[in-house]
Amino acid sequence: MAFHARYLGGCAAVALAAILTTSPTQAQDAAALNAEAAQNDWATHHGTYKSYHYSGLDQINAGNVKNLEVAWMHFPERSTRGLQSTPLALDGVLYYSGSYSHVYALDGATGKTIWSYTPELDEELVAKQTHSPYNRGIALGQGNLYVGTVDGRLIALNLKTGKPVFDLKLLDSKKVTVGFTGAPLVVKDMVIIGAQGGEWPGRGPIFGVDAKTGQKKWEFFTVAGTEEAMATWGNDSWRTGGGGGWMPGAYDPETNSVWWGTANPAPLYDWSGPDWKKSGARPGDNLYTTSVIALDPDTGKLKFYHQELPHDAWDFDSAVGEFVMINRGDKKLVVHANKSGFVFVYDRSNAKIENVWPLVKNINFVKSIDPKTGELIGRRDLVAGKADSPLCPAIAGGISWNSGAYSPKTQLYYKIGQEWCMDLTVEKTNPILEPMAQLNIGAQFKLVAPPDGPARGHLDARDPVTGVKKWEVNYKAPPLASVLATAGNLVFVPDAEGVVHAYNAESGQELWSRNNGTGHNAGIISYMAGGKQYIAVPAGWGSLVADEFVALYGEPYKSMTKNTGALIVFALR
Amino acid sequence: MPPLPVNTDAGMRILFVIVASLAITWPWLLTAAEQSTTAGSATPQAEASPSDIDGGQMFATTCGFCHQDGGRAAGRGPKLSKSERSDEFIIERIRKGKTGAMPGFGEVFSDGQIMAILAYIRGLDD
Repeated sequence: MAFHARYLGGCAAVALAAILTTSPTQAQDAAALNAEAAQNDWATHHGTYKSYHYSGLDQINAGNVKNLEVAWMHFPERSTRGLQSTPLALDGVLYYSGSYSHVYALDGATGKTIWSYTPELDEELVAKQTHSPYNRGIALGQGNLYVGTVDGRLIALNLKTGKPVFDLKLLDSKKVTVGFTGAPLVVKDMVIIGAQGGEWPGRGPIFGVDAKTGQKKWEFFTVAGTEEAMATWGNDSWRTGGGGGWMPGAYDPETNSVWWGTANPAPLYDWSGPDWKKSGARPGDNLYTTSVIALDPDTGKLKFYHQELPHDAWDFDSAVGEFVMINRGDKKLVVHANKSGFVFVYDRSNAKIENVWPLVKNINFVKSIDPKTGELIGRRDLVAGKADSPLCPAIAGGISWNSGAYSPKTQLYYKIGQEWCMDLTVEKTNPILEPMAQLNIGAQFKLVAPPDGPARGHLDARDPVTGVKKWEVNYKAPPLASVLATAGNLVFVPDAEGVVHAYNAESGQELWSRNNGTGHNAGIISYMAGGKQYIAVPAGWGSLVADEFVALYGEPYKSMTKNTGALIVFALR
Repeated sequence: MPPLPVNTDAGMRILFVIVASLAITWPWLLTAAEQSTTAGSATPQAEASPSDIDGGQMFATTCGFCHQDGGRAAGRGPKLSKSERSDEFIIERIRKGKTGAMPGFGEVFSDGQIMAILAYIRGLDD
C-alpha cells in the first residue's frame, strides 16, 4: 500500500512536471494531429493521423466556391517528372517539396518565400534511377522539417531557418538503386520513412530515426523481417524479394501503432501458376509484401499485420492507400485501399478483417475476396507465356497512390478508381544485383481498355465500411492527384487534364472548376493564414502512370508540358 | 539456317549487331572460356557466359517496365520495334538514358549486354 501511494505520488509529480514543461503549442499539436479534421494547419501528409484528407475549415463552402480564384502561385525549379508532393501548412506558413527534394517555405497568405533548401544529390546516381527524381512529400515535427532523397538520405531542416539539422544516409542507393520518394511520418520523437521498392530486388526497409538527433533507432525489413516471414520465401528468394513501403502510413495513438502499407514482391509477375507455394520465382506467401503492418513506433517491432494479397503475382501493392481511422458504433476501424481495386476494412486493434469491397468494376486477378476472412477466391496465377485474356486491373492499378478523402460530416469516402487492363506475357527472369540492383519485372505487358468500355477513371462517394455508393463522377482519364474534402460541403479533385474541380460533397454536383494549365499528380490541401482559408495544389505532369496517358488517350497528354510545374493557391475573392 | 538478308536495311543492321557484338565480347568470351575450365559452377553468375546473354530476357527483366509489349508498343517509353533510330543512337540512349524519362545503363550493363538488347530490339516484329 505504501508502495502504491509512493508510486501514485511519483506519477502525479511526473504528470505535473510534464504539464509544466510541455509548451501549449506542443500539446495543441498532439491534439490537432489526432483530430478527425485538419483545422488551421495541415501538419502531416494525410491531414491528421486519422488520414481523412479532410479540412474542418468552411469559409470556402458550397455556397461561395464560385468566387474561388488564384491568390498566388509559386514556381519551383527543376521540376523533372512534374510535381508529386503534398504540401503541409503550419502557423500560416506553407511548406512543400519539389523534384530533387527541393524544399520551400512560403508565407501562406502571400506566397512570399521565407526560405528554400536545395540538397546536393548524387546526380550520377539519379541518372541511373528509374523512379527519380520526384518527391512526394515532407513531414514536420520537433521544430524540424523532414524530407527523404532519392539517393537514400533523410534530411532534417530547421523549420524557421531552413538550415540543415541533420543529413542521415540510410540506404546504400548506389547498390540497391532505390531511395526515398515518399513523405516521412513523425510520431512522437521518431521520424519514420519507408524505402522505394517492389520492382527492385531488395528488402524494402522502413526506418525509425530519432527526430531530434538524427540517430537511426530501428529498421524493419518488409521482406522477411521476422523468422515467421523468412519461412514464406522458398529458395532463399527473400534476398531479392522487393517489398518497400514507399508511401507514408498513419498512427493510432490508442494502440501506439504505426500502420504502414508495403509494396509488392519481385519479380512483379511470377510464372509459378497455381503451384506458387512450392515453385516459381519466390515460392510461398512472401511476407510481409503487399501487406498492412502495424509497427511499434518506439522499437520498430511488428505488432500485427494482414497480408492483403498472399504471394502477390500482379503488382498490386498495399503501399498505396491511406489508413482512414473511423469508428462505427463500438467498432474502431481502419479503412485501407489496395492497388488491386479492393478496399479492406480492419479492426483497428488487431488488423482482423471486417469487410472487403471492390471500388472498381474491372477485376479478374481473382474472382472475389471473401469479405469476412479476406481470403482470395479464384486466384488467377499465371504461368510463363502469353495470358489467354487481359489481366484486370492493369499494372497501374485499380487504385493508385493518390489519396482519397473522408468527410465525417457526410460519412462518405471519396476515392478515385481506375478502369483498365493489360495484355500480358509472363517471362522467366533472373534478378540483377551487380553492379547495382535493377528492376525485376518478369513480363511484357501493354495497357488496354477493359471489357466494359474505354480505359477511364471515376470519383466514387461511398460508405467506407460497406462500400455502398452514393454518387459517381466519371473522367476520360483517371485523376492521378489526391482528393480533398472540407467542412464547407465540398470535394476537390485536381484532374489529369489540368482542371481542379469542386463538387458538392452530398450530391457530386460540380460547383466550380479552374484550369491550371497542366496535369496534376500531387496532393491538395486547405489551411488558414491571416484568418483566411486557402486551397493549395501543385500542378505539374509527368509521373510513371502519367507517362502511360499519351499512348492511351493521345491529346491533351501528347502535347502536355512535362518537367515543369507550379504551386497554385486559391482563396475567395 | 537461311542466309542473312544483307541486301536490306534490316539485314545490314543485324549484320552490324552481330559483328559489333563479337568485336566487343570476344575478349570476354576468351576470358569466360578460360574461367569456365577452372571456376566450376560456383554461382549462377559465374556460370553465365556472353553466349548466354538473352536480350529478350533482359528486356523482360528491366526494359519492359516502360517499353510495352516487349518494345512493340508505346507506353511509358516509345515503341522500339522498327525504330528508325540508328544503332549508334539506341546504344547511346541505353548507356546514357534521358533525364526524367529513362535511366542510363552504361555503368550497369556490359557492352555485350547492351548489344544483346539492341539485337533483341532489331529482331522485333510489330
